[in-house]
Amino acid sequence: MPDRETRGGAAPLSLMPAPHLGVGMSTVRMTWLVSLSLLPAAAWGVFLFGSPALIVLAFSIGAAAAAELAATLPFGRFTLRDGSAVLTGCIVGLLMPPGVPAWVPAAASAFGILVVKQTFGGLGRNWMNPAMGGVVFALLSWPGLLSQWIAPRGGAGEAAALPPLEVLRAALSSSGSTGGTPLAILARAGYPFSDLDAQVLGWINAHLPAPLGTALQPGTFDVLAGHVAGGIGTVSAPLLMLGAWFLLSRGIVRWHLPVLYVGTFGVLTAVFGGLGTGQGLLAGGPGFHLLSGSIVLGAFFAAPDPVTSPLTDRGRCIFGIGLGGLTFFLRFFGSLGDGVAASIVLGNCAAPLLDRWTSRRIIGDAHGRAV
Amino acid sequence: MKVPSPSAAAPDATLLPVLFLGLCPAIAVTARVVDAVWMSAGVILVLALSGLAMSLLSGQGDSGPTVRWLRALVITALLTASLEAALVAFAPVASAALGIYAPLIAVNCLVLGVVSPGSLPASPPRSLLAGLARGAQFAVALVFIALIREALGAGTITLFRIGAFTGTIVITGIIERPARALGAAGGGLLCLGYLAGAFRAVAPRAGVKSSSPEKAE
Amino acid sequence: MKYPTKLPRGGVNPPSETLVPPESGIANAAVPLRALIPLLQHSGKPAICLVKPGDRVGEGMLIGKADGSRSANVHASIPGIVVEVRDHCLPDGEVCTAVAIELGGEFETSGRPRQPREWEKLSRLDLLDRIRAAGVVGLGGASLPTHLKLAVTPGSSSSILVANGVESEPSLCADAAILREKASEIVEGLRICQTLLTPARTVIALGEDSAGLVHELEDLIRLKGMKGEVAVLPSRYPHGHEQLVLSAVGGGDGAAATVVNVATLYAVFEAVVLDKPLIERVLTVTGSPLLHPRNLKVRIGTRIGDLLDECGGLAPGPVKIVMGGPMRGVSVDSLDVPVTKGTSGIVAFAGAAARQAAELPCIRCGSCIEACPWDLVPTRLFKLIRLGDAAAAEREGLSKCTECGCCAYACPSRIPLVAVLRDGKRALRGTDA
Repeated sequence: MPDRETRGGAAPLSLMPAPHLGVGMSTVRMTWLVSLSLLPAAAWGVFLFGSPALIVLAFSIGAAAAAELAATLPFGRFTLRDGSAVLTGCIVGLLMPPGVPAWVPAAASAFGILVVKQTFGGLGRNWMNPAMGGVVFALLSWPGLLSQWIAPRGGAGEAAALPPLEVLRAALSSSGSTGGTPLAILARAGYPFSDLDAQVLGWINAHLPAPLGTALQPGTFDVLAGHVAGGIGTVSAPLLMLGAWFLLSRGIVRWHLPVLYVGTFGVLTAVFGGLGTGQGLLAGGPGFHLLSGSIVLGAFFAAPDPVTSPLTDRGRCIFGIGLGGLTFFLRFFGSLGDGVAASIVLGNCAAPLLDRWTSRRIIGDAHGRAV
Repeated sequence: MKVPSPSAAAPDATLLPVLFLGLCPAIAVTARVVDAVWMSAGVILVLALSGLAMSLLSGQGDSGPTVRWLRALVITALLTASLEAALVAFAPVASAALGIYAPLIAVNCLVLGVVSPGSLPASPPRSLLAGLARGAQFAVALVFIALIREALGAGTITLFRIGAFTGTIVITGIIERPARALGAAGGGLLCLGYLAGAFRAVAPRAGVKSSSPEKAE
Repeated sequence: MKYPTKLPRGGVNPPSETLVPPESGIANAAVPLRALIPLLQHSGKPAICLVKPGDRVGEGMLIGKADGSRSANVHASIPGIVVEVRDHCLPDGEVCTAVAIELGGEFETSGRPRQPREWEKLSRLDLLDRIRAAGVVGLGGASLPTHLKLAVTPGSSSSILVANGVESEPSLCADAAILREKASEIVEGLRICQTLLTPARTVIALGEDSAGLVHELEDLIRLKGMKGEVAVLPSRYPHGHEQLVLSAVGGGDGAAATVVNVATLYAVFEAVVLDKPLIERVLTVTGSPLLHPRNLKVRIGTRIGDLLDECGGLAPGPVKIVMGGPMRGVSVDSLDVPVTKGTSGIVAFAGAAARQAAELPCIRCGSCIEACPWDLVPTRLFKLIRLGDAAAAEREGLSKCTECGCCAYACPSRIPLVAVLRDGKRALRGTDA
């Protein structure tokens, strides 16, 4: 053996396998950055709905962390550092209505971490999105409690404590076929949009030149800016998109899945959305439906979870289209909430199949048979 | 007298469709404790009697496995049908509790495999006891799952009416907000899965031979 | 002709700015006082030792004779006395005999201009013999004895000869430096290869960092009456790989093709024209802990510790020294390791870069699949091997893996994919080494 030089007592040379360079983004950083990018939407939710929202978030994140510790510490591992439990807790909390009793998001988070993730082996081994699994569990177990909405700050009083989507559904199912866009239906049903909404729209409509066509309907500002009742983190699409843009620009989330998800849903809603309510084709109101419910959060933050979504870009495209279709069906023709969490869970079941179909390459033995 | 170990009767892969079929009544009757009790009683009875019958009939020369299987199927089906009719006539409460899953007692019995031709030709008393033992094991698992599912999923524990006792124990903390997901079929599968996992984790240490993949009962 | 062609798929872009100041040229490293020359510096069988302790050797003298045809000659790189002939453990784990020479005596040939010899009139066999006698091996990484590579049957109309001037690894720039300083000799070496192979097409492939040399090279080709073209390939790792260079310049669909590194061409030139054996090579010594990273012309057998000192020495603290490039190089446990014919660079890492990052679970992000230039699915192969099923990994293409390191570079969970894939290949071979 060659003589070993000790470099005058300095530390011995490190030995590591090649390659000796690594890409800058690490798994830990990616997960924490996703949690961080949910911050604007979370802050807005807390601002709108007050301390109940904060309590819900605290309980969902705390329970997720506690569940993760309970499942890993007895085996000698500490995994909170990778940030995935906290992220699960964030997403579960943001999907909850602000008035829900705090133990419900805690139970949902705990279910997601313990049953959906840790039972199968922890990070990277689960086949269902833990946050979505927890939310679906809560939806199935305590459907009544998941309708405890709170009126937003600056809203028009207690009557505003119902999300537009719920009111729309009630209006459509009760009065049968009523024409017009969702916002028009809501206005007719007496949905109280806020004063701020009236002021902003009044100003815009006054300054919009008449030839440009129709004035913006009342409620446009409220729904667009997220100034309505709803889930803590799901009301404000612009703030969610801010976080999503950050993730997309860093390459943490690839655009294929979210864009195709949202796009398919939008197209289907636009064309067929009006059918179930007797308004005919091309009367679905895609804008409204994209801004209500949790589809933006689901499409940009929950569904692109790398562990439970396909491996290849082509697979992600198909996945996105599939999720869009599922969400459309579940929302318009189903009865389980707004369809996002359930469709992601269903889609997760198909992800391994998509991997097999889209894994181009050398899969197969020398005779080209599939392995 | 040594009771043959129930887990020694390991079904082979051809029973797989049967195993899944066996999940169906198991999930269905574990929604309420009383349903699970009735199903267990039915299974114990049929297992014991069919074991006895098989043993009594096995003196008819040594026939091949196919014939023995046919024999087992016919006996189990006959017994189940008779039991069903008897319940309808004499115990309508039980019949109502079992509902459409009564005939599936037969499926459960076949899955539990005591009448499998692989088992040793035992004397009538042994066969009877073996049937009782396997049925009892099945009952314990079933009632355990039903306890969890009903307590957490509905907030009650439903038992028999005895005198002034209405039969329903209400769990005050949970009754207002039970986790209905556990009462649904998916929740049932979850409980079954965890029980199977727990059994496999614990069984080797308890000295019980854990062999067959169908430990879903 | 310049055609920036795209890599078909895969590859990564590690920060490739080398720390060596551009245009800094090649400096001569100090002649070592003691050279340790392994007798296995090529792929094939080790050379047979011809000397024993106490022998006096001259510069360029043959000290190891090729053992059969799949072997290469080894020469003394410094004059002096043989002090030791012992077993030496190479950085990749193989053990071979090595000759230690203590410097002494006259430099018979260094510093004196060599007389160029005639070669156009030589027969093919004589040409190959000159190359073989000089112990020329591939200097781009694989270290295949060059006389074997060029002994292919003279080409049909579909064969192609490529001079590979694309830097094989990020941070290394020795090939670019040689191209700048010795372009004429390299083209002459190419002409020699052309004579041996008579290909239908000849291409000099350059990386983007050498794009400024296109005209000079084209002029040289024309001056020497050769037929050939120059191509510039975009810089993306592992674009320097033989197969990828071939497919980028339009060859390699099963047609006979030969790819020779430009440093090897220079060695061919020296062997055939200047009658000089392969006793020194240019390599890049670089890395953030070094004060003066640079390209050095180094005698075979020099201790890498001496080279690092010449470049400013190492700061105290955790340090990793890699022989080769940062993507495929081997980290060494001692500064006494000698430079061999196959050493293309020495890279130093310090601080966090010198520590092994913790491995996290695979999150199925698909980055490794994006990065693999060979259409493999590294995440699947790695899981199969970890589960003990290397045979299934083989069915899914494990043998196509060239251990380029793109997948492990791209992995955010810092999984040592290359190491696991290599383990899988080893398991299939059934060896323990």
